[in-house]
Amino acid sequence: MLESLSSLAYGFTIALQPLNLLYCFIGVTMGTLVGVLPGIGPTATIALLLPATFKLNPVSAIIMLSGICYGAMYGGSTTSILLNIPGEASSVVTCLDGYQMARRGRAGPALGISAFGSFIAGTVSIFGLILLAPTLAAFALKFGPPEYFALMVMGLAVVAYLARKSMAKALMMAVFGIILGCVGLDPITATPRFTFGILELADGIGIAPVVMGLFGIAEVLENLGVLTKADVYAGKIKGLFPNREDWRRSMGPIARGSLLGFFLGLLPGVGSIVPQFLSYALEKKLSRHPERFGMGEIEGVASPEACNNAAVGGTFIPLLSLGIPSNAMTAILLGALMIYGLTPGPLLIKNSPDLFWGVIASMYIGNIMLLILNLPLIPMWVTVLRIPYSYLSAFIILFCLIGAYSLNNSTTDIYIAVIFSLVGLLLKKFAFEPAPLVLAFVLGPLLETALRRSLILSDGSFLIFLQRPISAAFILFALLVFLAPLFGKMRPARGLSEED
Amino acid sequence: MKKTKITFASVALFWVALGILLCYGATRLSVGSATEPGSGFIFFWSGLILVVLSLIAFAESLRNGEEVNPGMGAMNWRKIVLVLLALLLYAFFLEKLGFVLTTFVLLSFLLAMIEGKQWSKSLGVAGAAAGGSYAIFELWLKIRLPHGIFGF
Repeated sequence: MLESLSSLAYGFTIALQPLNLLYCFIGVTMGTLVGVLPGIGPTATIALLLPATFKLNPVSAIIMLSGICYGAMYGGSTTSILLNIPGEASSVVTCLDGYQMARRGRAGPALGISAFGSFIAGTVSIFGLILLAPTLAAFALKFGPPEYFALMVMGLAVVAYLARKSMAKALMMAVFGIILGCVGLDPITATPRFTFGILELADGIGIAPVVMGLFGIAEVLENLGVLTKADVYAGKIKGLFPNREDWRRSMGPIARGSLLGFFLGLLPGVGSIVPQFLSYALEKKLSRHPERFGMGEIEGVASPEACNNAAVGGTFIPLLSLGIPSNAMTAILLGALMIYGLTPGPLLIKNSPDLFWGVIASMYIGNIMLLILNLPLIPMWVTVLRIPYSYLSAFIILFCLIGAYSLNNSTTDIYIAVIFSLVGLLLKKFAFEPAPLVLAFVLGPLLETALRRSLILSDGSFLIFLQRPISAAFILFALLVFLAPLFGKMRPARGLSEED
Repeated sequence: MKKTKITFASVALFWVALGILLCYGATRLSVGSATEPGSGFIFFWSGLILVVLSLIAFAESLRNGEEVNPGMGAMNWRKIVLVLLALLLYAFFLEKLGFVLTTFVLLSFLLAMIEGKQWSKSLGVAGAAAGGSYAIFELWLKIRLPHGIFGF
């Protein structure tokens, strides 16, 4: 513990260097902006800016990129509350009560409580990160290929379990993602696999074009000719500070949301979208007036907003201590670490303490910046939101195209983004969820290598996954998750989707 | 209801076909065995699992009688196809004609033809956006954008 604190102090000396403060500021501001804008999210932005960071020192670059991640969580709520359109997928739930609060003239406290809630949650998750990541990394040194394989299988099982619709369909998406992720040269024998003679596919399908297509362009296509005019809350926003009664009602939900978000974010694959649904469902269940949810209850804003921000901190733990990404956003960060010549995994904290502790300290500073900046800047974000969607959609497409192209300077990546925009649209049309697909896509190559190495180790025996205690525990947990629906246990997220 | 059943069946058929094709492709890559997994190992087993899961999902949707796209509004397919075609053409011409020109044409098309803005406004905004993004990404952030025959 003491060691962690002294390391954190060391982190602050790095994060407080003027240049790093500047990059942190740029990151959180960009993050808030893209969080506010519907259609372009932190993942797309990180992919877009990644090539620009190649010349920076890796610590400054990761400080800026992670600023985008949590900054977006602050921005996303603004759009949800004022516009009833989630600025970010992880702010969907905030629309339910946040927009209703705005309609009743309480936009100020709704925005205020989400900013304070996010700040408190951010703080909780940073302390969680400090306590858990080094311990986990030390523990993960014991991991061999079977443990990594089992852990990833568990992550995928949890994502499928948390799917809001059919679990079979979510698993289909996971399998489809693994397949797409493994396209390219065989990591062991270098045989080209399903590349169809296209040279650029030898390195595999890039995560950036896939994400740009599936989430960015697909969303614009879906809204073509539908969303003509954004209905921005026109009233004057006053009283951003929640009153005493608001605080009294919000403290419990913020605390529960923070813990829930952090611990769910820890599990590889959960990301920050699902936890907010669960936190909303939890608050509704605990409330003495569940019937008032959806009509402007402050608890329905405080808890999910705390939750999604805490989850971001949680997702950094598997990323920095195991080298396993939890969602598309952390997958691109993982790619960034590798481009900067760092090896993500249990040794990262030991080998690059400046990066790990510097980034964590910067997250704390970034959260303070966001709290100070976010509230006074809300009028500016509202102006941004008044740009008609018809213009915005054209710009979103442009940014997605540049983001897809710029990482490898390849037009093939633009074709991939266009193809995946159609795929994303069709998947949505037929009620398939893209989240498990993206996670499995990212984990696919890691999963394959871990599986093949394990089998080579065990001389072809699948029992290796059950003979080693850590991997057996992961597999057992995954099995329980797979079998849970058979025992008629209601899946939490599904229960909520039926309620909506 | 009958129409939804046909849709579900064709969706399931698509995934089953994809799974079978993958298994076939994997056998050509060499599947190997558990002792010595080959290049096609993961594709073969994933393809097989995909087939099984698609059949389960199909049975599930028939039993539950779901709607095809709950919560998704009507889509303007004509516009969607036009935009997709425009984007493919953009990718095709990008390195030949350079970033600024292709982007200008694409944005003018999107704004004027798809979003129905006035031509004069569309051309102005497209020009400013193409020039502006070139300045930001290429000149300021030093992200290399394609130059094409005109050199920009």
